[in-house]
Amino acid sequence: MNKRIMISLLSYGILIVCICFLPFFFPGPYHLHVLILTMMNIILASSLRLINLSGQLSLAHGGMMTIGAYTSTLLVMKLGFSSWLALLMAGFFPAVIACLVGFPFVRLKGIYFAIVTIFLGEMIVLTAGQWRSLTGGSSGIFNIPRPNPLVIPGIVNITFSSKVDFYYLAFVLMLISLLILYAVENSRIGLTLRGIQQTDSLAESVGINTAGFKVLAFTIGCFFPGLIGGFYSQYISAINPDTFGFLFTIYLLVYMTVGGAERFIGPILGAFILTIFPEVTRPLKAFVPFFFAAVLMVVIFFMPEGIAGLPERLHKAIRKLLEKKTNHA
Amino acid sequence: MSTAALLQSILNGLALAGIYILVALGLTLVLSIMGIVQVAHGEIYMIGAYSVYYMFVALGLNFFLAIVISTLLIGGLGVFLERSCFRPFRGQPDRALTISIGLILILQNVVLSIAGGHPRSYTSPFPGVLKILGISISWERLIIVLVGLVLLIALFLFIRTTKTGQAMLAISQERDGAALQGINIDRISALAMFLGCALAAIAGALIGALFSIYPTMGSFALMKGITVIILGGLGSISGAVVGGLIIGLIDGVMPVLTTTYIAGLIGFATIIIILIFRPQGIWGHE
Repeated sequence: MNKRIMISLLSYGILIVCICFLPFFFPGPYHLHVLILTMMNIILASSLRLINLSGQLSLAHGGMMTIGAYTSTLLVMKLGFSSWLALLMAGFFPAVIACLVGFPFVRLKGIYFAIVTIFLGEMIVLTAGQWRSLTGGSSGIFNIPRPNPLVIPGIVNITFSSKVDFYYLAFVLMLISLLILYAVENSRIGLTLRGIQQTDSLAESVGINTAGFKVLAFTIGCFFPGLIGGFYSQYISAINPDTFGFLFTIYLLVYMTVGGAERFIGPILGAFILTIFPEVTRPLKAFVPFFFAAVLMVVIFFMPEGIAGLPERLHKAIRKLLEKKTNHA
Repeated sequence: MSTAALLQSILNGLALAGIYILVALGLTLVLSIMGIVQVAHGEIYMIGAYSVYYMFVALGLNFFLAIVISTLLIGGLGVFLERSCFRPFRGQPDRALTISIGLILILQNVVLSIAGGHPRSYTSPFPGVLKILGISISWERLIIVLVGLVLLIALFLFIRTTKTGQAMLAISQERDGAALQGINIDRISALAMFLGCALAAIAGALIGALFSIYPTMGSFALMKGITVIILGGLGSISGAVVGGLIIGLIDGVMPVLTTTYIAGLIGFATIIIILIFRPQGIWGHE
């Protein structure tokens, strides 16, 4: 058992080192941009899965990112906050909103919950487009300052003047986010959420505060899109209300489903493959959407548990085949 | 604001309601028979608009003939989609949802590559206005309301009086029970897709007479359609009608009374509040 943990820790370590060295192999700004987007999508799809763990589907991620982006931008530009504090607030503010609206929302089940979260997202985007004095209206805000430099005299001096710096920032954010999400999922909270997902009423009958836990999952799940919204606004240094539209949220849902919502690795794989794939096939130009759709459909048709469920299914299939052979012999 | 302007905006709202109801009826049929949310429904509606555009403008067919042909063709497309894409995922909402997202991408880009991205419009097939009591009513809006009404009554009679309609009702209430009574679920599902897509195609053709058409027009209709069936109660025809009237009138009248922004906000907030107090929709039941 100990050996297994050692091996898995070692392989994670190697993977992390590999990701750290990736910019040396792909130094171009375009490649770095795609990698940064991939890491953002991984965090977003994984946080969507945490809400999904409680049996709810939230489609407010785009709206929460918009709130996060404007929160961070306005705190830095109008109130002169440090960009790091603003980044943290960009996560907390959507979480607070999610917590407040969560209590009335979680009374709704299934698709009804999904629909009110869509409307919440749309209302946020609409407000961001109209509140001109604060948000600059539909043209948005430009020239958002870069993150404050990280300086440890003599050792580190990160100025965030190049994409590589943002790459490492995104990587650190991804590591921390995934660790938090993993820890939550494997704690007592995660277990309770799974119980609620399977049978809502049974969980309630044994004394679990299902509404409270659902709101908790919604709140934590909305922290990360806010954080990423803030990060993205500092990275692109511009923000407008349509940056994270409804389609963006739908794509996150696709990443999660294609990767496999059952497993922790699912949304990570889904976001990774489906973000990289259209970029790799870019030379095909107009056919990219068709390829994207084809991948989507093939996975749904032939892999009921998503890409993440594939190894297990292969394993089972091979064992069945072997058993058949031995039976014949 | 004058009474005439208010009446005018109410009629606009009714015309919008007619479109929303047609889209919503298709969605709710597919949802209640097959248990899936078919989000590519908006694209079916878009294709309906484009096929009528091509037949009416390019081939010079009669407008109503064009509508009939495109409705039948697109109904056939619906049957094909049911057989190839949705039958394996009946009762599995999340996987069917992802499949239909794939369909959205494919259908949108097929139309984009054939017709191009710029908006198109056709000269109104029903020009002129009808003047009653000092208010002028454009024929287009009147015809949309009438067509919507006729189709609605026809669908209602079909479901209430024919044996096939009763079979649809039975499946929507209890799928396994209906199958045990000898109802052919595959056949009824195909029929539901045919009807749903045909209704969406008609809605698309009618909206083309009012506004310009473009390849991404479907997402707006889908959004409205989903709102309507959620508000009215899933799987209920009367609910879709009531929901469609509410949303259509909000969209038609509110922008005249206040700004578009406030109107949009009020629309969303109304629905959220209705749902919080009545989680199963206005007409739905647990």
